[in-house]
Amino acid sequence: MKGKMGVLLVAVVFFGVIASGCIGSQETSETKTTSVELTGDFVKDVVAIGKALESNGINEVKFSAWGSGDPNSVMRVYGIVEAARRINKIWEENGVNVKITITDTHYVASFQDAYQEYLSKQPLGQAGDFFANSYAFLSTLANEGYILDITEYANAYGSVINDFYPSLIEASKFNGKLYGLPQDTEARPLYIRKDVAAKIGFNLEGIEEKVKDGEFTWSDVYYWAKKAKESGVVEWGLIHRKGSAHPDLIQFIFAFGGKLYNEDSGKLVVDVPAIYKWLYVEWKFAQDGLLPKDIMSWDWAKQIHPTIVEGRTLFDIGGTWYWTEWQTKEYYGKEGTPRPLKPEEVQAWFAYTLFPAGEKGLKPVTLSQPFVWMINSKAGQQNPKYEELKDLYHKLAFLMVIKASDPDINAIHSVISAHLPVRKEAAKLISDEKWLNDLKNLNLKLDPKVKENIKDIVATTVHPINAKFLADVSYMLEYTKLAPAHPKYPALADIFKEAVDKVLRGEMTPEEGVNYIIQKVNADPELAQNVEIVGEIPKDWKFP
Amino acid sequence: MKGEKLRNLSFFLSPMVIMVGLFYLIPLVFTIYISFTKMRNWNIERYLTEVVGLYNYQRLFHMFQHDPLMRTVLLTTVVFVGITLIINVFGGLLLALGTFFINESSASAIRLLWLLPRMSPIAVYSLVWYYFFHGSEIGTLNSILMKLGVISQPIPWGQIVPWGAWSIIIFVNGLVGVSFGMIVFTSALNQIPKELIIAARVDGASAWQISKRILVPMMKWHFLYVLTWQFLSLLTTYPHLFLLVQWDLISRDYGTTLALYVYNTAFGRGEQDQGLAAAAAVLLSILGIIGGFVTLKVLQFEKMIHEPRGDIE
Repeated sequence: MKGKMGVLLVAVVFFGVIASGCIGSQETSETKTTSVELTGDFVKDVVAIGKALESNGINEVKFSAWGSGDPNSVMRVYGIVEAARRINKIWEENGVNVKITITDTHYVASFQDAYQEYLSKQPLGQAGDFFANSYAFLSTLANEGYILDITEYANAYGSVINDFYPSLIEASKFNGKLYGLPQDTEARPLYIRKDVAAKIGFNLEGIEEKVKDGEFTWSDVYYWAKKAKESGVVEWGLIHRKGSAHPDLIQFIFAFGGKLYNEDSGKLVVDVPAIYKWLYVEWKFAQDGLLPKDIMSWDWAKQIHPTIVEGRTLFDIGGTWYWTEWQTKEYYGKEGTPRPLKPEEVQAWFAYTLFPAGEKGLKPVTLSQPFVWMINSKAGQQNPKYEELKDLYHKLAFLMVIKASDPDINAIHSVISAHLPVRKEAAKLISDEKWLNDLKNLNLKLDPKVKENIKDIVATTVHPINAKFLADVSYMLEYTKLAPAHPKYPALADIFKEAVDKVLRGEMTPEEGVNYIIQKVNADPELAQNVEIVGEIPKDWKFP
Repeated sequence: MKGEKLRNLSFFLSPMVIMVGLFYLIPLVFTIYISFTKMRNWNIERYLTEVVGLYNYQRLFHMFQHDPLMRTVLLTTVVFVGITLIINVFGGLLLALGTFFINESSASAIRLLWLLPRMSPIAVYSLVWYYFFHGSEIGTLNSILMKLGVISQPIPWGQIVPWGAWSIIIFVNGLVGVSFGMIVFTSALNQIPKELIIAARVDGASAWQISKRILVPMMKWHFLYVLTWQFLSLLTTYPHLFLLVQWDLISRDYGTTLALYVYNTAFGRGEQDQGLAAAAAVLLSILGIIGGFVTLKVLQFEKMIHEPRGDIE
C-alpha cells in the first residue's frame, strides 16, 4: 500500500511538473507574442493582433485622430472613429477582449495651422496618432522621421492598395517609400456662370470638349471676360483664389507647358517662360479691370464667394469642394438675408471645365492636392508597454487606416465634401442610387458619434445633383498635376504669391515680377541650391 | 563679517538671480547655441547636436544683402519702434496728466476705456481693425468715407506703401501700448504730495505750469522706466502684426518687423528654420541691448542713482 501510495505521489508530482511546465510554456509563449506578421487577410490580422495584445494584458488601446480642412470634411477624423468601431466589432465577434478607444478627434479648419501644430507637438509625443493632411507636407514629415514608413505593411495588402488610383499612391511616397494612404483628392475646375454666358451670347455647348482639345484657351477666357464686363452684365470677368503657397494659380505654369520640378536632379524649377506668361495673363486681366487688382487680399466669406454665387463674375478658378460649400455656407445675399444655394441653383448657374490651355497647341490641366492619412511614428505611445509592443500598435494603426479607407467611408466623405474618391470601389458606390438614398437617410451602419456629427452636413449635401457633379468631374483626374512634394516648395510658392500680388496691383510689370522671383530665390543660398532657373523671358509673345 | 554680508546678500538676491537665470539667461544662451546649429522643424533629437558654426549668420547676412524684403524689415522695425514708442510714452503721459486734473469718476472711466485694447484678446482686437481698415467697401472706414461722399472708390489703406501699412501697425500697437504708460504715470502722480499742487494752485499756477514745473520733473524715474520698457517691448512684439499681415490687410513687405521675421522663420508655414531664426533673434537681442544702453545713457540714468544717505551697516 505504502509502495502504491509512493508511486501515486511520484506520479502526481511528475504530472504536476509536466502540467505546470505545459501551462508555463503556454504562458511564456503568449506573453512573448509581441509581433504579428501581416497576411493581407484583414480579419485574421486584426484578430491575431487583438489576441497578442490581450495576452500581454492589454484590454484597451487608445489612439487619437487629427484632421483638417473645410467644414464638410470631418470624415477625415470620423473615418478613424468608424474604423475603430469596425475593428472592435471584429474583436467582439471573435472573442477578443480588447477595445480601441479614440480619445481625441482634433479637427482644425486650416490645414496649414494643423500642420504647424503637428510639427511642434510631435517631438513632445503629443501629436495625433493619425494625421489627415495635404500630401505636400508628407516629404518633410517623412524626412524628419515624424511619420511611419508603411511600405512593408502595405506589401501584404496589395489588393487594397491596387484599388487606389496609382497617381495618388505615388503622391503618398517619399524617396520610393510609402508613408500614408490617400484620403481624398480633388480637381480645380474653371467655373462659368451659365446665366451670364447666355446674356452675352457665349455658347457653352460642348465647351468641355473644346477645352479638352485645347481649342478654347486663356485668350478665349480673356475675350469673353472682357465682353461680359464691357456689356455691363458683370462687375468682373474673372475671380480666382488667393493665399500663400496655394496651388491653384500655379496651374498657369502647367497650362503654358512649364514645369515645377526636375525629377532627374530632384530640384525645383523656376520655368521662366511659363512664369512670365502666367504673370502676364494676370497682369493683363487686372490692368483691363477684368480681375480685381487686390484679389489677393479679398475676404473669402464677404467678397470672394458672394461675388461668384451672386453672378458678379463670368469665370471663377475654384475647387470641386466649392460645389457643396456654396450649399452649406450663407454666401448668397442678393435677396437681403444671406443664404446657402440649393443644389438645383448650383446646377442651373454653373458650368465647369478643365483649366484651359495657355495657348493653342498646349493642353488643359487641373491640379490636385491629395489629402493623406499618415501615421505618427510614435503611434500608440500613450498605451502600456509601448516599447515592448510597439510593433503591434503600429500594425494595428496601419490596419485602422486600411479600414478607414473602406469604400463606403471614402464615398461618404466624397459626397458630403465634394472631393473626389481615391478608390475605384468608392467611385462605384457614388453612382449607386440606392446607396445614396441610404446615406441621405443615414441608413448605414456607422458609429452613433459619427452619425450625429455628420447628420447636418448629410442633410444639406447628399443629393443626386451633387453625386452627378462628382461623376462629371472625375475625368479631370486624367489631366491632373501635383505641386512638387519638396521640402523647399512652400518657400518658393510663397515667393510666387508675392510676385502675383505685386503684378496684379501694378507695382511690377510681368518682366519685373519674373526678375523679382529670381532675385528672391537667389537671396536665400539654401533655396538657391534647391532651385533651377531655366529659360528666358520670351521676346515677341503676345496675349491675348 | 564679510562672510555674513555675503550670506545676507545671497539670501535677499537669490530669488531674483534664480528668476533672471531661469527665464532670461538660459533662454538667451540656448538661443545663441541654436543659432550655431541646423535646427529646423522642431527636430531637437536630430539637429541639436549638429553644430554648423556661423552658417546661419552667413546666410542671414547674404539675405540682408540680396533680399529686398530684408532691407524693408529693418526699415520697418526702425520706423515702427521709433514712432510707436513716442506715441506710447507721450500718449501715456498726456493721458495720465489729463485725467489727473479732472474728477475721479470721469478719470476712471477714461482710463478704463484706454485699457480696453489691452484687455481684449489679441485676435478679437486685431479682427476689429481688420474690418475697420479693410481696403474694400466692406471696410468700415471706407464705407463711412464713401457714404459721406469723401471718396468714390475704396482705398486699400494697408497696401499703400510704405506709410499706409506703417500707419496701421503704429496705430493698432500704439492704442494697446499707451495704457501701460498711463497706468505707471498715474500711479506716479498719485504719490506726489497733494500739498505741492494745492500750494501751486493757491499761487495761481495753471495746469500746464503745474505739469511742467512740478509733476513731470518728479516723474523722471517713471519716464525712464516706461521708455526703456516700451522700447524693448516694441522691439520684440509681433502678435498683432502677425495677424494683420496674415490676413493680407497690410503689405507683407512693410508690415514685417524683425521680431515678426524671427517668428515667421521659426514657426511659419513653410520650412520652420529655427537655426536661422535664432541667428536673427540674437541680432534682435543685440539691437535691444544697444538700444537699452543708449536710452539709459541719454537720460543719464547714473545721475539718478545716489548712495543711500543713512548708514545701513
